Amino acid sequence: MTENAIPTTPPPERRRFAFDLRAASPFIALLALILLGAVVNPDFLTASNLTNVVTRSAFIAIIAVGATFVIAGGGLDLSVGSMAAFTAGLMILTLNKLGGAETSTLLMAMGVALMVSAACGLFNGLFVTIGKIEPFIVTLGTMGIFRSLVIFLAAGGTITLRDSGMREMYRPIYFGSVLGIPIPVLAILAVAGLGALLLYKTPFGRHVVAIGSNEDVARYSGVPINRVRLLTYVIQGVCVGIAVLIYVPRLGSATPTTGLLWELQAITAVVIGGTALRGGVGRIWGTVAGAVILELVANIMVFSNFVSEYLVGAVQGSIIIIAMLVQRSLQRAR
Amino acid sequence: MKHVILKSLAVAGLAAGLSSAAFAQPKTVTIAVSIPAATHGWTGGVVYHAEETAKQLEKLHPGLKVIVKTSPDGAAQANALEDLMAQKVDALVVLPFNSDELTNPAREVKKRGTFITVVDRGLKDASIQDIYVAGNNPEFGRVAGKYFVDNLKQGNVVVFRGIPTVIDEERVTNFEKALEGSGVKVIDKQYANWNRDDAFRVMQDYLAKHPKIDAVWASDDDMALGIMEAIRQSKREDIKFVLGGAGMKDMIKKVMDGDKMIPADVSYPPAMIATAMNVTAAHFYGSAPMRGTYVLNAQLITKDNAKDHYFPNSPF
Amino acid sequence: MAFVLEAREIGKSFGPVEVLRGIPLALKAGEVHAVIGENGAGKSTLMRILSGHLQPSAGSLAMDDAPTVFANPVAAESRGIVLVHQEILLAPDLSIAQNLFLGREMRRGPFVDDAAMNRIAAAKMAELGARLDPNTPIRELSIAQRQLVQIARALLAPHRVVIFDEPTATLSGVEAEALFLAIHELKAKGVAVLYISHRLPEVKAITDRVTVLRDGRHVATRDAAELDPAGMARLMVGRDMANLYPPRTPAPEGEIVLEARDVAVPGYVETASFALRKGEILGFAGLIGAGRTELFEGLVGLRPCRGEVRQEGKPVSFRDAAQSMAAGIVYLSEDRKGKGLLLQQDLRVNLTLAALSRFAKSGLVAESQEWAELDKAIAAFDIRARRKEMLAGQLSGGNQQKLLLAKMMLLEPRIVIIDEPTRGIDIGTKEQIYRFIAELAAQGRSIVVISSEMPELIGLCHRVIVMKAGRIAGEVTGDEIAEDPIMFLATGVHEEEVVEMAAGAA
Repeated sequence: MTENAIPTTPPPERRRFAFDLRAASPFIALLALILLGAVVNPDFLTASNLTNVVTRSAFIAIIAVGATFVIAGGGLDLSVGSMAAFTAGLMILTLNKLGGAETSTLLMAMGVALMVSAACGLFNGLFVTIGKIEPFIVTLGTMGIFRSLVIFLAAGGTITLRDSGMREMYRPIYFGSVLGIPIPVLAILAVAGLGALLLYKTPFGRHVVAIGSNEDVARYSGVPINRVRLLTYVIQGVCVGIAVLIYVPRLGSATPTTGLLWELQAITAVVIGGTALRGGVGRIWGTVAGAVILELVANIMVFSNFVSEYLVGAVQGSIIIIAMLVQRSLQRAR
Repeated sequence: MKHVILKSLAVAGLAAGLSSAAFAQPKTVTIAVSIPAATHGWTGGVVYHAEETAKQLEKLHPGLKVIVKTSPDGAAQANALEDLMAQKVDALVVLPFNSDELTNPAREVKKRGTFITVVDRGLKDASIQDIYVAGNNPEFGRVAGKYFVDNLKQGNVVVFRGIPTVIDEERVTNFEKALEGSGVKVIDKQYANWNRDDAFRVMQDYLAKHPKIDAVWASDDDMALGIMEAIRQSKREDIKFVLGGAGMKDMIKKVMDGDKMIPADVSYPPAMIATAMNVTAAHFYGSAPMRGTYVLNAQLITKDNAKDHYFPNSPF
Repeated sequence: MAFVLEAREIGKSFGPVEVLRGIPLALKAGEVHAVIGENGAGKSTLMRILSGHLQPSAGSLAMDDAPTVFANPVAAESRGIVLVHQEILLAPDLSIAQNLFLGREMRRGPFVDDAAMNRIAAAKMAELGARLDPNTPIRELSIAQRQLVQIARALLAPHRVVIFDEPTATLSGVEAEALFLAIHELKAKGVAVLYISHRLPEVKAITDRVTVLRDGRHVATRDAAELDPAGMARLMVGRDMANLYPPRTPAPEGEIVLEARDVAVPGYVETASFALRKGEILGFAGLIGAGRTELFEGLVGLRPCRGEVRQEGKPVSFRDAAQSMAAGIVYLSEDRKGKGLLLQQDLRVNLTLAALSRFAKSGLVAESQEWAELDKAIAAFDIRARRKEMLAGQLSGGNQQKLLLAKMMLLEPRIVIIDEPTRGIDIGTKEQIYRFIAELAAQGRSIVVISSEMPELIGLCHRVIVMKAGRIAGEVTGDEIAEDPIMFLATGVHEEEVVEMAAGAA
């Protein structure tokens, strides 16, 4: 391939408005799914249903934005689901402990949640960077640790927000909306917007992509590998914390099954979004589209009258694989 | 877990010292209890009741030692059975994760002459067990179905299933059987994994899909809580009530307080583990050997009898 | 006489871009035929057509005078045409023997016959002059040794035509000699050898005929005896190449900018002391494995290293590359693809990676400034890219090296360490890089050139330090800088003896 340069080199031109099919393909898949849904059941295409779906995808979308950083940097975090449950549990316990229904109480508990999740991320990151242990093993370990801690905190049962006044005050964070847009959707946009800014426009983001692309090259270029990698895990933690802030007001409780398999959903969303699992490419908005796709597939399954409930999993899996196939062939056709 | 055992040893030792003067040597018996770890509200309840009962039994019968062991999945439970056998136990009370995986390990235990009590989920081979204590899953479905027929008379019902298992299958089949010939119609059913988040999601979708829903069979109290939130968000008035199941304390409280949306519940008490342990202990310390099957019938809990089912200290 | 393999007016276009036009090439049994040309001349494309990796857009192939088509590399291989790739294509965790037989394992019943494979692998490697345990994993071999494994693997298949694509690019003198002997034996057995190389002296030494390509066209096919390296270069470039190296300047007498005293890099360098002056071009010669690369990786903080290092008189110790860069020292790795550039990222990202903080404005990267810098670099370093959004991996080797230079020069270093500056690079680009190195020195920067190519050390450096087995073996300066004294220091024997020893070993 080294000799394919053309004989007479014309001055190189930068294509300013090149249409990047690879970046657009998750959105094309999203549109295709919406069409499929409309065909399956006309009631699917109502504003309230679509709003519900996008709102519900908030947890996975926000967590997956963090996962985009970790994965683009060549890492992996399997502990996010357990981390979310653990953080939610601690947050509710804090609210119960402080009691009352004051705004200050809520803000304090929110602070606790963000600090706990960031600390969990830091914990993962330190083992990966300083401890030099495979991220798969580290986060598989912490996945078990965080999950057990929730079960321990809940004594096997449920951690429930007791104060009904607080419950009512906090509830609009999930169920409320501003200018007709649900607050969780605004949260997705804010987190993804910040994430995109961080990943695409800052030296840190560039460094994340560089270490995911080739750690040696990054090291030889003077990139502070450990610091960058550590920060990706902390960002992942903070994203989990933000997701928890929206999760808790929904049902006001954390159970041992909270966040179960969220890690897989987050990773799937990231990959559907076009981020390479081996690192080196990160697509924040694609990730958000991926998270909405996952929620949409489940929604369409409920809306379809012809899929037996026994086969929902199979059809769901097939749709995801087909969506990826379509994406890949779109990219090749370029 | 450790402190329970240590304490029980101390109690047993003390009791032995005291009683030896008055009576002959007290009978020393070890009962092992193998149950799933608390990963769901109901299993959390099982663990709570098992530990409470262990304490009570040890106090009641000097010389009795109860070892409670929880396992996170079927394979781990099979290993746990082997470990327990190494400690020379006289009886095993087991709530198996699933029938297939644990039938053979339980048979191995039986071969050593251990007394076996099986709880809730039956083994493949009924000859292994000396005692079988079970909730009645078909009855659970039937009682719920009957409630819909009696109270709704006619209308559209959506159904929430749990995790695909025999338990779930028995409940749902008998629920539908009970509705036969009535005006109550099941218009949709989906799995929501006995999980509140999943139930919330499915209920939102049901509400968007079906313009008129008269009542909801949640089949589980955890799921009922998620469903209630989704209904509240939709501000829909057509749904008359939600029927859960299992007897979670929060739900029983609602029934007691006369909540319109939660007029009743169907019991499937995690306390069945306590029954099983008591019966097993009675086999050793009672006057007659115990054998047979004990079925705890699923009861309809209404405002009138809710008091009897309310355990405020239980985590479930 | 029939030609074993013949290309008849071969042409190849990729879309609208024509990379080959009307190329004739005829290989005789028992000849070594060189194909030379600058990067972009079309050599690799021609090789890929001859070996079935690409289909020609025009013209045809023939074997033994009968027209033939190779649908894919497997078809070509079944006809006895094997290609030794330039890139290392081996499984790093498998052993030498496992790699040699990968995909064609010898069996005894249902099991692989490891004993037989190890025996044959050891013998084949010995034929190439490498006495290695066939159980050694590839990961533990040097790049040169991997190249030999790759050659041995290609020669394992029955072959009538063997195509070598830059086989000596990563080999040092002694290792290359062993390869030349192997080629000589192939020739004696009547095999046709097609040989692509940038090293013109060795083309002159070992080939019978030479075909020159320029800009995708055939320029000439001559007997090697008629041409000298300068003549070959002239045909390749289309102009006189007498001055490959910039004019020599007197050795600078300025102050010492970097001094190493008893520096040790565990496992690689036992002890090394040297000094580098302002404006000096200091060469580092030695065999592969002598510890040159590791010494400098240690100095700039990329490996653990002990000993005393002084920069401009002050003791320094770098924990990572960021620190040495901040101190004005840059190191350009010999492994451009593995450690120099992000092949999957575009030119802009690569260019600014090391100096990214300079492009940050209130926390954000100023992209317009990056694009402007790329324009400047493309002009200043003559980087030939079809499009600015190209990935670094899509550039030719020479252009990658220019991009790497541009990337490191953004840091405005005072000391530049270049490891194998022209490995796998054509002669036209070499000249540019040499000129560039000389300019850097003239600007008062100090340069260290680590190279296995003797002529470039001789042509470029004020002074050459020779390393041998993790120690400094000696130093040559001024008129002493010549092949024989360097070889003597590197090996402990004089050059003629080396050739004799190699001949005796085979």
